[in-house]
Amino acid sequence: MTIKFAAVIFIGLASGLSVGSGFVAFLSVLGIIPRLTQLSKTMDKIHWYEWGVVLGAVCGVIASLREPTMGLSVYLLIPLGLAGGIFVGMFAAALTEVINVIPILAKRIGIHSKIVQLVMAIVLGKIFGSLFQWVYFIHQ
Amino acid sequence: MLENTIYIRMRNRVQARPQQVVYLEDIAQIIAPETILPTVKKIFVHQVTEQDKNIVVIDVMKVIALISSAVKVTDIQTVGAAQTIIQVIFKEKGVSLPFFLLIWFLLFFGSAMTIMNFHDDVSMKIVQEKLYTIITGINDPNPLLFQIPYSVGLGLGMILFFNHVFRKRINEEPSPLEVEIFNYQQDLDNYVVIHENKESMKRLDDN
Repeated sequence: MTIKFAAVIFIGLASGLSVGSGFVAFLSVLGIIPRLTQLSKTMDKIHWYEWGVVLGAVCGVIASLREPTMGLSVYLLIPLGLAGGIFVGMFAAALTEVINVIPILAKRIGIHSKIVQLVMAIVLGKIFGSLFQWVYFIHQ
Repeated sequence: MLENTIYIRMRNRVQARPQQVVYLEDIAQIIAPETILPTVKKIFVHQVTEQDKNIVVIDVMKVIALISSAVKVTDIQTVGAAQTIIQVIFKEKGVSLPFFLLIWFLLFFGSAMTIMNFHDDVSMKIVQEKLYTIITGINDPNPLLFQIPYSVGLGLGMILFFNHVFRKRINEEPSPLEVEIFNYQQDLDNYVVIHENKESMKRLDDN
């Protein structure tokens, strides 16, 4: 019995370790945190941001595995949704960049001057797609 | 500065019109003794022709050869890049509006569809409902109060990352996109420098 428990604990720890390090590795490749510190000029606070990510991930784990209920105000969801959206948005922007879509597109069709409009097309498209999905699409 | 020393620094990238005559001062920065400076500046380097297509690479060795045949100097010092890329601009490429709109809507609907697929892929709806229940204790299949700010935030996050609010910049640092475009151009230049420059490669069948 003890051996079985120990084995389960070990496997749980091992899978958590690999998922956690995978998450952090992915986050580092996309360079979202350096980008945020660069924008806000808070390079010295980068350790706090690391802990923010780690604590956020652990809270997410607790929330998704144990499903507690807190009975707080509905309006708390507005900042939460906004924050979540910004994070996913930065994720998507970074991914677009990592795979180098825009520079190549701009080069191919020779529209360097209109690159801001093209980025805005992607941004507005994301907002539109997301709103469309939640307000209309999922009810069909 | 030593008497009779010429310092040249090749420019990275130079634009030229078709049929343009390219002089040394167009493709390099020059420091030379006052007496010979005008001559050196006006050394003929290249005549752009139809056969050149749109890229010509001028190697610094060619420039040194030209200088030493034009003026009597004992010393030519080169600084920085070893070649200049002359980019021949045939005509100012204006993008037609319908074409631009087509690309714009391609990107717009493409990214709209991508984000919907992504949400479905990661079961975003279930997660949002769960989150709603965790925080409020109410079971609501349509947590719009979460979803609408989320959607707006999605766009905000991308703008934040690219550092552009339409034409306004959030701060004066280059955005990752601009750095990426620069890097891509740099890679292309490196390729061109090696492959379009006959002097930088010697093959067996060249003679």
